[in-house]
Amino acid sequence: MPLIEARGLTKKFRQAVKEPGLVGSLRHFFTRKYRDKLAVDHIDFSVEAGESVAYLGPNGAGKSTTIKMLTGILVPTSGSLIVDGLVPHEKRQQNARNIGVVFGQRTQLWWDIPVVESFNLARDMYEIPVKRYRDNLAQFTEILGLAEFMNLPAAKISLGQRMRADLCMALLHDPKILYLDEPTIGLDIAVKDSIRGFVRSRVEERGTTVILTTHDLGDIEDICKRIVIIDNGRIIHDGDLAALKDTYARDRVIHFQLARPPESTALICAGLPTCETTTDGLRLSVRFDRFKFAAGEIAAAVMPHVEVVDFRIDEPEVEDLIRKVYLGQLNLSTPESAGAPETGELAGA
Amino acid sequence: MGGIGKYRSMARTSIEIWFTYRTTFVLNMIGSIFYVFAMFYLWQTIFLGSPGALAGFTWPEMKAYLLVSFVLSSLMPWFAEWNMSMDLKEGRIAIDLARPIDFQASRFASAVGPVPFEFGSAVAIGAVVAFVFGGIALPVDGAHAAVFLVSAVLATLIKFGLVYCVSMTAFWTTGTDGITVGRVAVQNLFSGALIPLVFFPDWLRALAAVLPFQGMVSTPALAYLGKMDAPTTALMLGVQAFWAIGLILLGRLAWRGAQRVVTINGG
Repeated sequence: MPLIEARGLTKKFRQAVKEPGLVGSLRHFFTRKYRDKLAVDHIDFSVEAGESVAYLGPNGAGKSTTIKMLTGILVPTSGSLIVDGLVPHEKRQQNARNIGVVFGQRTQLWWDIPVVESFNLARDMYEIPVKRYRDNLAQFTEILGLAEFMNLPAAKISLGQRMRADLCMALLHDPKILYLDEPTIGLDIAVKDSIRGFVRSRVEERGTTVILTTHDLGDIEDICKRIVIIDNGRIIHDGDLAALKDTYARDRVIHFQLARPPESTALICAGLPTCETTTDGLRLSVRFDRFKFAAGEIAAAVMPHVEVVDFRIDEPEVEDLIRKVYLGQLNLSTPESAGAPETGELAGA
Repeated sequence: MGGIGKYRSMARTSIEIWFTYRTTFVLNMIGSIFYVFAMFYLWQTIFLGSPGALAGFTWPEMKAYLLVSFVLSSLMPWFAEWNMSMDLKEGRIAIDLARPIDFQASRFASAVGPVPFEFGSAVAIGAVVAFVFGGIALPVDGAHAAVFLVSAVLATLIKFGLVYCVSMTAFWTTGTDGITVGRVAVQNLFSGALIPLVFFPDWLRALAAVLPFQGMVSTPALAYLGKMDAPTTALMLGVQAFWAIGLILLGRLAWRGAQRVVTINGG
């Protein structure tokens, strides 16, 4: 049985409709008008224990609403949701013991007391056995480098320190599931790496199930094997990250830096069918399908005709892929119809 | 709900936070001392105009009444100011809800933790004021003092229950500031915090008797002064207990409803 199972999960919000300006406010005061917004619209998904899933979507797509239903904070309007055998909003406290939550936008540390005392409070709230607590705390303190600010109140530490402490606090009770809601927002590269590395080690060593929402594609590539994309409350893609890349990001571009401008590219083009060759002054670029050609073959075809000073290979970024999905330029729901021509415009930045 | 150990820890934490903000607390207290002095001078003038007792109150008794009112109003001040609509707007409530804690019990633990310290500080300040004004009436014996303490505890529970219920309205309205101001005004009048209820006209007193507020100041103050006979005392403590339990249960009920509504405001 999957650890998390959602069937037809729906969340409808009632939004007040107000016309702009004073007159609008006045009118709204007397005749309240509301409009229903489907934040999450009949979504189905299941997550097996030990999976690490990136849950993506543009702002307002329904990511946070889904996470809040999974954590038992919000009550679904309809549909069913089972997390580790429990209906989260019915058994909120019991569900809370099985999960760890990190909200990048807000801290769960107590603002006014030393960080370590927030941890102690977590120990008591989650009723963590003393030995396990001590072991976990010692281990996390070392990995995340918490020692230097352990005795400072949360109000006095930097954002990067705060996020590391938040992550520690969310994992002290060894939750089965870790929900990360934009965990690396506003952090510098070093802290991002430290956080991603730590989460990845939990997935690999402890089999912790991770559900991650983020706008930082680095988080996904470092942590997640599967991505689920939601837009307008509906899931528009659910699948393996590697498969997504293989399907939609097959193109690579090799850029050659030349000693002299090439006289003609006709010969090169002739040797590389289906590839797209362009020149720009001293630069020659070849776009190719990596399942048809190896990079070496491209180089071998180019070298005899020009003098190459330097070269580099561009891999398409997951970011480009996702951006196209968000913009509706890529229809992920019908992968069969997506052929080479469409992928052709994907690669390259 | 699990063990109560977690709530004890939360109470301890709130004591620690209380000590972090003790300067704020002391400054607030100093502000209220001015208020107490004003009340004292006002009532002193009234008593000077009519020597002896007013509606059964002597001047030393009146002074004691005012100080009991002052001490009781110093308890849980931050909790009373605590604005749930802020928690809702800022989304902090999501963090509490993601924890294995009962919402009301955790709020109670944080509110009740510093109460002994608030009580101690208020009594110390009250003693100084009493000294300046030439002493106050004390409970006639240990039994009356004990009854007063029980009544004061019940008064604090009523205060918690009431404030919690009022803060629940944040789920249905966009702001609770207006509601809070209204609560404080009604509470000050009907609890007897400003004027002992015996000074009220009959109809207003009858209204006060069926509201929960009298248990917040009037009942413990009268218990302190020994102004109720034994059956009345038992009845009034019973009424206090009724409101304390009733309001706390009402708060739990409201919370259950609120959890469904949070779905509308959340996002």
